[in-house]
Amino acid sequence: MDRIVEFHDVVKRFGDTLAVGGVTFSVKSGETVSLLGPSGCGKTTTLRLISGFEEPDAGTIKIAGESMKGKRPYERNVGLLFQHYALFPHMTVAENIGYGLKYRGWPKREIPARVAEMLRLVQLQGFERRRPPTMSGGQQQRVALARVLATSPKLVLLDEPLSALDAKLREELRLELKHILSAVGSTTIVVTHDQDEAMSLADRVIVMNRGRIEQEGTPDEIYAQPRTSFVAGFIGRANWFCGRLRKAPDDAFVALATEVGSLLRIRAPQKIDDGKWRACVRPERMILTRPDANSDGRSDNLVSGHVVDIVSLGGEIHYVVDVADGRLLAVEPNRGGPRVRKGEHVGLSFRADDCVAFPLTEV
Amino acid sequence: MGRKIDDLFSGLGRVMNGFIICFLIIPLVVTSLMAFDARPYLGPLPPPALSTRWFSKFFSDDYFLRGLGVSLELALISVCLSVCIGVITAVALDRSNSRARELMTSLFLSPLIVPPVVTGFAILIFLSKLGVVNGFARLLCGHLIITIPYTIRATLNGVLGIDKSLTEAALTLGARERHAFWDITFPLARTGILCGGIFAFVVSLDDVAISIMLTDAKTYTLPVALVSSMRANFDLTLAAVSVLLMGLTLALIFVLEKTVGLNQVIGQGTFR
Repeated sequence: MDRIVEFHDVVKRFGDTLAVGGVTFSVKSGETVSLLGPSGCGKTTTLRLISGFEEPDAGTIKIAGESMKGKRPYERNVGLLFQHYALFPHMTVAENIGYGLKYRGWPKREIPARVAEMLRLVQLQGFERRRPPTMSGGQQQRVALARVLATSPKLVLLDEPLSALDAKLREELRLELKHILSAVGSTTIVVTHDQDEAMSLADRVIVMNRGRIEQEGTPDEIYAQPRTSFVAGFIGRANWFCGRLRKAPDDAFVALATEVGSLLRIRAPQKIDDGKWRACVRPERMILTRPDANSDGRSDNLVSGHVVDIVSLGGEIHYVVDVADGRLLAVEPNRGGPRVRKGEHVGLSFRADDCVAFPLTEV
Repeated sequence: MGRKIDDLFSGLGRVMNGFIICFLIIPLVVTSLMAFDARPYLGPLPPPALSTRWFSKFFSDDYFLRGLGVSLELALISVCLSVCIGVITAVALDRSNSRARELMTSLFLSPLIVPPVVTGFAILIFLSKLGVVNGFARLLCGHLIITIPYTIRATLNGVLGIDKSLTEAALTLGARERHAFWDITFPLARTGILCGGIFAFVVSLDDVAISIMLTDAKTYTLPVALVSSMRANFDLTLAAVSVLLMGLTLALIFVLEKTVGLNQVIGQGTFR
């Protein structure tokens, strides 16, 4: 009984719109998986299919090995943390947390102790008698989490768990959420459109687009080796080069002849054809070289242009550079020291391993 | 120039407000004065002496008391039934999609548009074809028809304001649909439900037009009794009854204000 969730070829339509179009994945016990994608990609429908608010039109969903066909939400033992918490405003914190315990058959005497235990877990001791509307967003979030975890559900679903909080609090709670989830050892699915949230909370990320899974992998794999141009564009920032591929002497690499005539050495894709291709390079992997500096030998590619804009975000600096192939972005950490100025001529070098190519036909 | 016109309009507005208040209040003051008039006939105001003779006359008149009894019984029963029906309908409407909801809501509110005399006559004919001749049953049917729109509307206001995810949260926590209704929907919509019930009570207690069609010799409501006695022999008992009804309404408003707050009842209908 290792797999908690198994989705097999699940399809869900709403009228003419295909919300989920044949999705297959599984989640192992104790694992945290995030479903990441833009709005309308089918991730929320997937969540509602798991929790039982929607029934699939085709395919099977199993939770802990048991088919969920025709099972109502209350027959599933799946905890769901709602985006806006959905705390019951007319009940106290203790009543909110104890609500699930009451219906999941806990003996009445044991409920107060369990509520206190959950409040300790989310560091809200002594809040039993407060009412949710009188509490801050972060506190409400913790109460909602305590309510979900109180009944020890087989599976915990988090719907955009941090999106309703402001940026500073979000960062704090993200770490705490991760800590609490691993302390409880729950199997978790995080549904989000926020890649920071997805990457930081999850062991494995499933990127969805238009009702289908684009790629599944660890956060590092998704970032460094995007399998489709959608994933490359959606996760992080990307610089793009368009052109045609040419065989290179050694098999691991090919050359990309861009439209303006530059020749880039890039990592070879699995199949090569004569069509148009585009290659993506992360801005952090672009090394900005001063015009007077000697280009170091380690880089495979060098393009040059002039700086049109510099944006300092405090911790990192973004350089916008116009080169023959278009406008590129390079991101460098702010280490102090002399800076390149606007209008200056610079070189951008990057390694062939950091270039991932996709056929242009695929959108 | 523009400022002068603005000033003129705001002045006019104040004058209008004054008129409206006068028209609302003065008749009530006059009625109250007359109810305590000691003279046995309708004389010029103000009355030279005050007494409670008209009130004692009302409470010693079997005809009126019978009407009061029927009115109260009818109002209570029709409020209970119409609140139940209203809540069930509102919950069903809340779950349907928005187009169906709008259509059904207007359908259910349509008794408010049909003239009550027409409704009353239609019920009379319909029930007599069905063989229902009991006066109380007929009155109850009529009063349900005019009170249900209020309970549906008010409850719907309350139910629509409840976030759907609250019910969904209850379901994922193991509550059945019926538990979720009693734990979440009902307490959160209670101000709306209460508001509908009070409106229904007042409407039922107040109605003449429909009731007059449906009464029989022994079963008649207080307003019907007042109307017919006014035709037969006009005296100031009518004024005394008006003062009593006013008092009842004031008491009701006071209770509402103290328990839930009037603004909340009229304004939103959902507990927050």
